[in-house]
Amino acid sequence: MNDFETTSGPAADVPMGGAQRSSLWSVLGRDVPRGVRAGIETFWILARAMVPAYALALVLREIGAIDALAGVASPVMGLVGLPGGAAVPLVLGYVLNLYASVGALAALSLDPHQITVLALAVLIGHNFFVEGAVLRRAGMSAVVFGVARALAGLAAAGVANLIMNALK
Amino acid sequence: MTHLLTQFADGTFHLLLKMFLIVVPIMVAMELFEGSRPYTALVHGWARLVGRLGLTENTAAPTLIGFLFGLAYAGGVIVRDTRRQRITRRQVLLMSVFLSMVHAIFEDSLVWIAVGASAVWVVGFRVLWAIAVTAVVGVVLEAFLAWRGAVRAGPHGG
Repeated sequence: MNDFETTSGPAADVPMGGAQRSSLWSVLGRDVPRGVRAGIETFWILARAMVPAYALALVLREIGAIDALAGVASPVMGLVGLPGGAAVPLVLGYVLNLYASVGALAALSLDPHQITVLALAVLIGHNFFVEGAVLRRAGMSAVVFGVARALAGLAAAGVANLIMNALK
Repeated sequence: MTHLLTQFADGTFHLLLKMFLIVVPIMVAMELFEGSRPYTALVHGWARLVGRLGLTENTAAPTLIGFLFGLAYAGGVIVRDTRRQRITRRQVLLMSVFLSMVHAIFEDSLVWIAVGASAVWVVGFRVLWAIAVTAVVGVVLEAFLAWRGAVRAGPHGG
């Protein structure tokens, strides 16, 4: 399976030049089923991780955990130049995804500067349960990456806020 | 309760459908193009860019997929390639750090640009941020591994 390990020169599997045309169908006949198989296997591995994570995220929202977290996060918002209410789209992004976050944004009246700052925090830290499940499959710690992304996102937002204020 | 189940069913269906429609074609395309000249050139070019961050040629492909399409799709390639033993754990860490900071550069950014965020900041600044964070983690990791190596080698081991 390690036939592409060395990439110098044409790989034995995919002949170059004239040989390619005559063996096109045999290449397709071998690579397409192999790709479909690898795709379905990978899809299955990721689906088994992502669906329970998604269910957990929905339950957390249902029991009010998002509102509680947003309450905790709202004093932090001031540090990056955002109103306390911005904690709701931020935490929705953390637990669910970017679309949920943008959906909650409509309830607030933020200016373009604030939207950009919030966007950075959410674009770096979002969808922790589902994406954490993916990182776990890759052998990383979902918890460490979740915490690190939340902090890194807020740090990036804070830095951006300072630079944008300085440039005004 | 009913609306929660409806939302779960609906959300799961869309999540899985989208995953399936992207993961399977990516895997087929990878099998077809891996080893071909344009693919090698593309990955080689990208590898030269991310190589400065300590990522190797084998890690370049999943990093590029993640950068363009998203973490879940890169995750697919990472899972596949680690199973085929092409990527070391250290490489997975660096790649995960980079992709944690920036992935799905078009889709994710556009969602926010559409509601009024500045494109320069959400794309340009985020890429620079990702590069900086990955570089710092790389340096810290190197220092840690060197320190651990020295400790293991003992006082006379240099």
